[in-house]
Amino acid sequence: MAKYAMVVDLERCQGCRACMEACKIENNTSEAMFWMYVFRFEEGVYPDTRMSFLPRPCQHCDNAPCVKVCPTGARFKRDDGIVLTDSDRCIGCRYCELACPYGVNYFNWQKPNDAYYSDAIDWSDPDIQEVTLGAIPPYKNPALDERWGSEQRRTAGGGHAKGVMEKCTFCVQRVEQGLQPACVETCPVTALRFGDVEDPDTPISRFIRERETWHLLEETGTEPSVFYVGGKPPSQQYREVERPKARV
Amino acid sequence: MVEVTRRTFVKAGSAVVGGTLVAREFLFSPLASQGAETPLSLQGPVEDLVPTTCWIGKQDCGMLAHRVDGRVIKFEGNPANPRNNGTLCPKGQAQIIALYDPNRVKWPLVRTNAKGQTGEWRRASWDEALEMTAAAINEVRERNPKLVLWQKGRSKAKGFYDDAFTKAIGSSKLGHGAYCSDTGYRALEYTIGTHAVLHPDFRYTNYMLSWGWNITNAGGNKFCWITWPQHMIRARDRGMKIAHIDPRLRSAGPFADEWLPIKPGTDLALALALCHELIAQDYLDRPYLTTYTNAPSLVKDDGLFAQVTVGEGDEAAEVSLVWDEATGAPVPFGEAESPALEGTYELDGQQFSTAFEVFKDHVSQYTPEWAADITGLPAEQIRRIATDFGENAQIGSTLVVDGVEVPYRPVGIMAYHMAQQELGFQAMRAMVMVPMLVGAIGAAGGQLSDFSWKIDKRYAQFEKFEVQDPPYDFMLNNSRYFPINTGFPGMVARVMNDPARYDVEELPEVAILHMVNPLGSFASQREFLDSYGKFKFIAAISPWLSETADYFADVVLPSATIEKYEGPISATNQYIEATTLRIPPMDPLFESKGEIDIYMDLCEKMGTLYGEGGYLDQVNKALGLVDDLAAFAVPTDRKPAVRDIFDTWARGQGIDEGVAFFEDPNHSVFVKGPMSPTKMYGYVTDPPFGGALHRLYGDSLLDAQRQMQAKGADPLYWQDYTALPTWRSPTMDASPGEYEFYMVSYKLVEHKQARTSFVPLLAELAPGARIDINPTAARRLGIEDGDTVTIESHNAVTGETRSMTTVAAHCEGIRPDTIGVPAHFGLWTHPQNEGQGPTPNEIYFTGEGYMAMTADQSFHVKVRVSKGGEG
Amino acid sequence: MATTTINTPQPLPQGVGRLGPAWIAFVVGALIVTGWGLFAYVRELSDGMIATGMRNVGTMGGASWGLYITMVVYFIGVSFAGITVAALIRVLRLDHLRPIARFAELLTVVALILGGLSIIIDLGQPVRGVINLFRYARPQSPFFGTFSLVIAGYLFASLVYLYLGARRDAAILAKRPSRLQWFHRLWAAGYTDTDEERARHRRATFWLALSIIPLLIIAHSTLGFVFGLQVGRPGWYGTLQAPAFVALAGVSGIGHLIVLAAIVGRVIHDRERIGMDIFAWLGRLLMILLFAYLYFMTVELLTLIYATPEVEKQLSDALLLGQYASVYWGSVALLAIPAALLAWQALNRRWRVSWLVASGLAVNLAAIGKRYLIVVPSQTHGTLLPYETGSYSPSWVEYSVVLGIFALGSLMVGLFFKAFPALPLSEEEEREVLANA
Ligand SMILES: Nc1nc2c(c(=O)[nH]1)N[C@H]1C(S)=C(S)[C@@H](COP(=O)(O)OP(=O)(O)OC[C@H]3O[C@@H](n4cnc5c(=O)[nH]c(N)nc54)[C@H](O)[C@@H]3O)O[C@H]1N2
Ligand SMILES: Nc1nc2c(c(=O)[nH]1)N[C@H]1C(S)=C(S)[C@@H](COP(=O)(O)OP(=O)(O)OC[C@H]3O[C@@H](n4cnc5c(=O)[nH]c(N)nc54)[C@H](O)[C@@H]3O)O[C@H]1N2
Ligand code: SF4
Ligand code: SF4
Ligand code: SF4
Ligand code: SF4
Ligand code: SF4
Ligand SMILES: [Mo]
Repeated sequence: MAKYAMVVDLERCQGCRACMEACKIENNTSEAMFWMYVFRFEEGVYPDTRMSFLPRPCQHCDNAPCVKVCPTGARFKRDDGIVLTDSDRCIGCRYCELACPYGVNYFNWQKPNDAYYSDAIDWSDPDIQEVTLGAIPPYKNPALDERWGSEQRRTAGGGHAKGVMEKCTFCVQRVEQGLQPACVETCPVTALRFGDVEDPDTPISRFIRERETWHLLEETGTEPSVFYVGGKPPSQQYREVERPKARV
Repeated sequence: MVEVTRRTFVKAGSAVVGGTLVAREFLFSPLASQGAETPLSLQGPVEDLVPTTCWIGKQDCGMLAHRVDGRVIKFEGNPANPRNNGTLCPKGQAQIIALYDPNRVKWPLVRTNAKGQTGEWRRASWDEALEMTAAAINEVRERNPKLVLWQKGRSKAKGFYDDAFTKAIGSSKLGHGAYCSDTGYRALEYTIGTHAVLHPDFRYTNYMLSWGWNITNAGGNKFCWITWPQHMIRARDRGMKIAHIDPRLRSAGPFADEWLPIKPGTDLALALALCHELIAQDYLDRPYLTTYTNAPSLVKDDGLFAQVTVGEGDEAAEVSLVWDEATGAPVPFGEAESPALEGTYELDGQQFSTAFEVFKDHVSQYTPEWAADITGLPAEQIRRIATDFGENAQIGSTLVVDGVEVPYRPVGIMAYHMAQQELGFQAMRAMVMVPMLVGAIGAAGGQLSDFSWKIDKRYAQFEKFEVQDPPYDFMLNNSRYFPINTGFPGMVARVMNDPARYDVEELPEVAILHMVNPLGSFASQREFLDSYGKFKFIAAISPWLSETADYFADVVLPSATIEKYEGPISATNQYIEATTLRIPPMDPLFESKGEIDIYMDLCEKMGTLYGEGGYLDQVNKALGLVDDLAAFAVPTDRKPAVRDIFDTWARGQGIDEGVAFFEDPNHSVFVKGPMSPTKMYGYVTDPPFGGALHRLYGDSLLDAQRQMQAKGADPLYWQDYTALPTWRSPTMDASPGEYEFYMVSYKLVEHKQARTSFVPLLAELAPGARIDINPTAARRLGIEDGDTVTIESHNAVTGETRSMTTVAAHCEGIRPDTIGVPAHFGLWTHPQNEGQGPTPNEIYFTGEGYMAMTADQSFHVKVRVSKGGEG
Repeated sequence: MATTTINTPQPLPQGVGRLGPAWIAFVVGALIVTGWGLFAYVRELSDGMIATGMRNVGTMGGASWGLYITMVVYFIGVSFAGITVAALIRVLRLDHLRPIARFAELLTVVALILGGLSIIIDLGQPVRGVINLFRYARPQSPFFGTFSLVIAGYLFASLVYLYLGARRDAAILAKRPSRLQWFHRLWAAGYTDTDEERARHRRATFWLALSIIPLLIIAHSTLGFVFGLQVGRPGWYGTLQAPAFVALAGVSGIGHLIVLAAIVGRVIHDRERIGMDIFAWLGRLLMILLFAYLYFMTVELLTLIYATPEVEKQLSDALLLGQYASVYWGSVALLAIPAALLAWQALNRRWRVSWLVASGLAVNLAAIGKRYLIVVPSQTHGTLLPYETGSYSPSWVEYSVVLGIFALGSLMVGLFFKAFPALPLSEEEEREVLANA
């Protein structure tokens, strides 16, 4: 049994947000949902200004508050460490979101299809329907609808549904097929690494051994599976710049 | 009767069933989430990969299109492509939603209302649209083909097919370069002969000046984005240090070890001060300067070289004299035993100084203290940067690379688009001189420019300028205004608005706009709004209705986006040589077509497709399928399928599978192997530096200046044609004091020019226009973060003012006297553009005072910022 | 003669079964408001919760729990008081308070139903919610704890309690023909008022009362823990939560009792049975609880003022000076002023019903405010990662739904009082009823 983890290397990150985009496309998340989010921070005063970037996926905590509080077990942690949401079981109470210290949970406030950039694009356009057989988005990823892992529950995010919670799945549908998560895969500068930390010989295990790592909000005792390298934990003095359109 | 009863029976039955279903649904089975699951074909999902290349960006990163039943579901980086090594930037990822955008131009459109306003269109057949276009072009061609203007923006892939088109119809040709880095290219072609700007040899560089490089967002020299950051990060793993010279810190993000927030438009002053310091601290590579530059050439007191004619008849050539210390006499360049680099010599009553002596003398005035006042940077910082640069250069050292011993100077500059300033040409020349002084040009770890040392044809042309008498053509070629001039759309627009002023008699009548949107990306919008209505006919080839087409096109021809064959595409990353093609992952959507198809059909209608000099013949020439490759030439007597053109081209390259090689995900990129040192490092190419003598001293520039004066040009045009880069304060500084800010513009990593702001996925990440303004400066004006502000620009030459309204974003990473504006917004034809805000090109000026001496746009202007404004 | 008396029966006591114009007007009004709330909720169901003012915590800069959860906490609080009072009356044999026991119990039942409703209404998948909450129940989740314990268990207990307590009256009324006889028969369920039956009853209710009290404490503690145990939410994390919850719960509940007592007193013009002594007792109880709560609040205020960790600071600024200051200080005032009023009345032993009712209403508004301030700010201003501070304001849908819920509540009370006497039958009422049997 593997134990999956991710490393975020802040000495490499360009803050380019390709990971966010890859995540949105791979997982077909709708508007303003950022399972992966990259902060762009500024601190200090001109000319002694410093900038930093901070990618923030779900931390897949080993001691996950979200899992503890879920009243239905829709939010659960697999033996391989991946924390998932069963979109068939979730009742939309949003307790996991409140319990999570990292703000990584996203609720389907409306029917995903209605939220799919439909202000700018009319997906019902017959000329497109012809090509896509009515899929919304047209690049809808069938792997998301499948049931994965021993638990065989609908966890890959394909269950995007009104009134249900979702978040980063470590791209379970890719990991199950032996692929790297979409964000890791696209990162231009290898600022993201993913792999099995139970096996000491995997590249990621070696990397974690060789480098000094830290966790986000260590003090909350959530024991994340996401390790950070370089940089430093963000402080409340940080000013966030260049925020995306994040409210629906 | 029976009918009814059966139906009611069925109803009742289904009601019962429905009831139990509902019960099962809720109580036993998992509650189904999503309405429609992904539609799949009956014979079940067929998944496959199609290798292709990014269609948004400028460097055509390799991609693999993941398909299900022929429907693309994702683009991922192609690991086989050395440019991006299996990765993609946000734009590369997001283009998938653009591919399927039903707001694309679906079929040919013909205008039904007057121009100069939002267009009304009727659907037309390809046949009709092409007929109209062909007729309009031919009518003008018969009189004067040059009055047909073919215009393109920042091209992707290799534009062989449009070169072929312009040659086949003999039209005039206008590119995007005047808004990109043509100044930089011209400065480099002039100074060292390469067709490129500046980048360091990241494999070995230890110290880099990131000079207006938008590291974490945009290209740098030649590339689009991914490649340089990948090299940069590896170099930093090695410990490379970065000094970042930019009014904005955001461009370097966390990667600036040192930030020099320079005042916009003063790079020339900084570069001159660095030269001054390198000389003062004696960081000089004398052997390089003496052997490979014109530094030893003797300069007469009129500032021109002392020259002699060598050789006989048509062998004869003017060669400058140098002082041979061995003989103590002047000899033609190259014939001296030990040419003098420095010193002033006398020969029959005449004073001669070496060019380097003149240079030393010239820069002696440009001390760090002097530069500090101009650039707003501390003198000691400037001095230290010079020391670091000189020290790190390790002058005299060598390194063995792949068995070849190469001079080793691990210092270099990355610079590209910041060349777009009024003094850009001379600034860029002065910037190259910094690595020249320490002998870093073409050295291992040193200053590279193009990927190889192929010398551009312009290097030779620039040896002597021939300024001509009026009348001039509408591009002002060889005019007294711009002896160096590679075509400036903004200037053409000005000429169209006032031909007499520029001694122009004939104006272009028909335009073909291919992948260009002057109202979006070019400055200034005003000039284009005033002039493009004057065209008798405009055909636009574009996948979306560009704003220019919306206002001025008579016909719009829908081009495919990524779903077309294009190429050949260089996949080199400087260290590996490779080639690839863009392969269509789907058939063209709607009624769109690839450009090659469009040009072939259009040429057929114009009767210029077949035979000698026809389009197909030109395609063969452009693809080099001539002489020894003639066997692979495309037949010129029938219209080929586009795929066949690339197939025969591929075979010509020695790829036996032909185009299939590139269509196969297991190959897809033709890797020629690592770039050899003897190709990459100028010192060891044969001949060294491709045979170009580096022009430290710009003798022909001074000569051009004299010709311009003789022909009565205004000082505004000739003042910067000087043999050595000479500082003057930019024209914009003459604007009144209340215009207290410099406005600079830049690129966001989420957007590409003005061609992505309507891509919903990208508009989500970077929603709209803004100005970055220093909080201290902003608060003085009562402007808080997020406030609406009005920006008013002032033209120091004409006194004209222009204004736009946008929002303020507080930013501690920008000079208090500078505002920064992203260049990507201000479009209006796509629903996504709603409320995105303006492009700075609405308020930049073009023409006198706001362009470089080489007819290139400056993206600088003085503005005043005030709170509020409609919007 | 006899026949006529049977054909035109004497009216039942305490206006039971008599539908006066005022009552009808009240019911119609309540129905309209309830209907409006329902309409709003249907909108929420069809459009999704985008129709509310709630949004995600973090990048979306919103609050994911808003007015609905506020009401859950509030209603459960209210329910607490009713049943406690009723239980105390039994256990401590406070016979002079007997008269208010029944509608105290009723208050609990209604408040619990409304609380449960508020939870369902807050779910993104309500239908699933009802099923999965039990089908996949995870007792480890405080939310489940509160939901099942507080709502289900405790609603059941209070129903039984109400049922047993009123069974004797039901039996008496059942002897008497009327349109509601079937209902009273149903309730009496064969109860014949024999002595050992009475004794058994008293014992049963007594033990039930005893057991309900600890049940309460547990239930309300879990509710406190729903918030109290969340490391991720500064302002929630802390042990003070549970006791503070209980105190304010009492305050709001007693407040309601006072109001109800006043109304009932008015409606059945029965001054001496709901007499000044009852109001005085309720007033004193309210005062004590108020001061207890005010103590907790000063502690809280001090911790807010001296808040040191970055986030806590940001949060307290938002509460004391920023976005939430008006609600915060408003609530404080609505608690402090009644406290003063009550203290004043307690000191010179003169109680005014009008003042008490005013205080009762005031403290309930304050209670809602305070619940709101516990639920919302630590979402918009309490993110541990430096997200931009968020904002939340309920949409018209949320306001309408909440109004609807209140209307539904008062409708239930109104209907109950027409079907069953609000006060236990007095001897003469009994006699008079039996006389006409
Ligand atoms: N994401 C993205 N990438 C792109 C493009 C794109 O549109 N989007 N376009 C591609 C193209 S066509 C090109 S040409 C390249 C351009 O690549 P770059 O030249 O790296 O990018 P720009 O943003 O144009 O660079 C302008 C930088 O120069 C700074 N600057 C402005 N004025 C001055 C000055 O006077 N002095 C100095 N020292 N700095 C100054 C600006 O602050 C900004 O940081 O990018 C390519 N890559
Ligand atoms: N203020 C300011 N302005 C700038 C810059 C800046 O930094 N600041 N950057 C400048 C630079 S570096 C450059 S290179 C220029 C670039 O300027 P352009 O290359 O002209 O850039 P775009 O505005 O993207 O114009 C491209 C047009 O072609 C269309 N198009 C896109 N793909 C295709 C295709 O495959 N086929 C066809 N037929 N059409 C297509 C797009 O829809 C768009 O309308 O912009 C310059 N403009
Ligand atoms: S893709 Fe890589 S570099 Fe870009 S933001 Fe994400 S982690 Fe950073
Ligand atoms: S980060 Fe949040 S959502 Fe992810 S596992 Fe940890 S607590 Fe749960
Ligand atoms: S929202 Fe869904 S996943 Fe989250 S706690 Fe509630 S039921 Fe569990
Ligand atoms: S792992 Fe997958 S789901 Fe998680 S952030 Fe990366 S791309 Fe998104
Ligand atoms: S860097 Fe340029 S070419 Fe490469 S993926 Fe991004 S946009 Fe496309
Ligand atoms: Mo460019």
